[in-house]
Amino acid sequence: MSTENHHLPQRIKLIWRLSAVGSFIALLVITGLIWLAYKYWDWPFWLVTIFAAFTILEFIGEVALIPYRYRFTRYQISAVAVEMQSGMIFKKRVAIPIARVQNVTLNAGPLLQWQKLTKVSIATASTNHGIEGLELDEAEALREQIMRLAREARHDQA
Amino acid sequence: MTKPKRTHPLGLLLHIAHSIKDYWYLLILLISLYKQPVWFALGWVLVIIAILVWPIIRWATLSYRVTPQAVEINSGVFVRHHEHIPYARIQTVQRKQWFFLAPFKLEEVSIETASHDDNKPEARLAAVPTTLADQIDHYRQGTPATETATTETVRAAPNPDATETTASPEQPAVEIPAAAHYRINNRTLFKFAVTSTGFIPLLLILLALYNKIPRSWTDTLISDATHLALIILVAGALVVILIAWVGAFLWTYLRYYHFDVTLQGDQLKTAKGFFQRNTITAPLRRIQAIRIKQNVFRQWLHIQTVQVLLASKAASEDDDDDLVILPAVPQAQLYDVAPDFLGWLPDHTPDLGDLNVADRRKWYLVRNALLVALVPVAIATWFWPHLWWLFALVLVLAYFQGLFAARQTGGHLMTPTMLALQTGHVWTKETYYLPAEMIQSMRLEQSVWMKRKQLMHLIVNVRHGNKNQSIELRYLRAEQAQRIYDWYLHTV
Repeated sequence: MSTENHHLPQRIKLIWRLSAVGSFIALLVITGLIWLAYKYWDWPFWLVTIFAAFTILEFIGEVALIPYRYRFTRYQISAVAVEMQSGMIFKKRVAIPIARVQNVTLNAGPLLQWQKLTKVSIATASTNHGIEGLELDEAEALREQIMRLAREARHDQA
Repeated sequence: MTKPKRTHPLGLLLHIAHSIKDYWYLLILLISLYKQPVWFALGWVLVIIAILVWPIIRWATLSYRVTPQAVEINSGVFVRHHEHIPYARIQTVQRKQWFFLAPFKLEEVSIETASHDDNKPEARLAAVPTTLADQIDHYRQGTPATETATTETVRAAPNPDATETTASPEQPAVEIPAAAHYRINNRTLFKFAVTSTGFIPLLLILLALYNKIPRSWTDTLISDATHLALIILVAGALVVILIAWVGAFLWTYLRYYHFDVTLQGDQLKTAKGFFQRNTITAPLRRIQAIRIKQNVFRQWLHIQTVQVLLASKAASEDDDDDLVILPAVPQAQLYDVAPDFLGWLPDHTPDLGDLNVADRRKWYLVRNALLVALVPVAIATWFWPHLWWLFALVLVLAYFQGLFAARQTGGHLMTPTMLALQTGHVWTKETYYLPAEMIQSMRLEQSVWMKRKQLMHLIVNVRHGNKNQSIELRYLRAEQAQRIYDWYLHTV
């Protein structure tokens, strides 16, 4: 079993960029609505300015941080546990023993499907942990592996 | 096989009481409608349906059957539910007996399983003979929590029809003798009830009511005795606090009256209460963690509470899902008494100094507590500047809460498979004993600034009720936290 640190697939950056564009458009629409409110209901203009500034800054920030987000997000699977690591300023690292895993769910929205990627979420009896994007076959292999190890671990306990 | 039985008609009373509790606002609505006769009449019909007809139908359609394999419950008016609960899946059985049900040998039985989705118990039977729960207990005792459960129970009870009646004495292993027993003594219970923090919410309610007293009363009072105004104000506040305190005292005292805990086979059984006797049975192997709790008042009186966290909503709503094993034990006796019931507790007070927040690191907890308090205090001072002294008091409290948290933080690897952790949240010291196999996941957190200072937060997740409980130890030294994390990765 490989125990080295894995990065997410490179294409996840494309997904992140696209979702940044998506949230940019959503914020742009809100800014547009506020501008309309300014135009027709005499809302103060500074609201429009603030929102526009926020929209632009949020977009720039989100896009600029993608390489760092990519670099600091990692996962690692050993025979006994899954470990995930994320965050650059606030670094988090979580360990989920495979014997505690109750189920593994793969789900992919349209963007991820188009790139043949999928999200993986791992549930224990009390918590939920997610990997943002994995290659489809890799994710399925991971699920198989976790479920097989979980079954074995459960047999050991009984 | 016998037919499913209905619950006792007295259960109807309880159903109706529940409906009144759920729909009391309809009654208020009704009173406000008394000027419009049509609506008033319609309202009456609605209320009668809600609190009388509906419970009767519910009662009439509910039936149950206890077989050697499972408890079966049939319920539902429009949609029929047939619930089938095998004994191996049962987490806890709770029996509640109101004093007026005792002469009829009846009680309410709730059965809990570990299924994730619902907040309600799996099954609730409002008034059934007390023999029923005994019978369920009996079947559970003979049922190991494996897939072979069904065959074993059948072997234990060769004639299923005979067992339907009651747990009769000729059956094997009906009464396993108690391995340990403890009853709270009155003095300790008194201390426990006196130090209940339940008076704080009560106090807030009373203060809100105090504000509602018509101004004219207080004004005349004050104008009559202007020179006594301050004394009256202070005395009034003291009376309010006293009433809240006595209320909380009685509430706790009556609920924990004659608290009894027994270990029988692998089942822990607790019983408590004066007006309503509340008995809970839970299997030892379902325990997720042990928690020893002590609020700051109880620290002064040296009494502690022992609870277990279970993977289901164990106790009733009022205990926030925790099963209390020992509500109040003198601190000095705790590690003599508790290990009899919970074998994995150590037999002496452990030294939890391995994980700690000492020296300069205390300041971070104090700072965070102050920061949290600062924003609401600033806003409140802006609006009510004349009460500044009250808000200053909040800041002082926050400062000491930070220090308290730092002082209580602790932890130690008790055995290669058990971790002890201690935290100090909201003026309550909590010590957890966590077997490695019950820890669902573990997390380390470190910000850029903490990295420079070699600090780390450690977060341990365990199942608690139907939710997750994270136990968070903040500002540990990085190597301390890392050591626990590595231990966890290597033991699983």
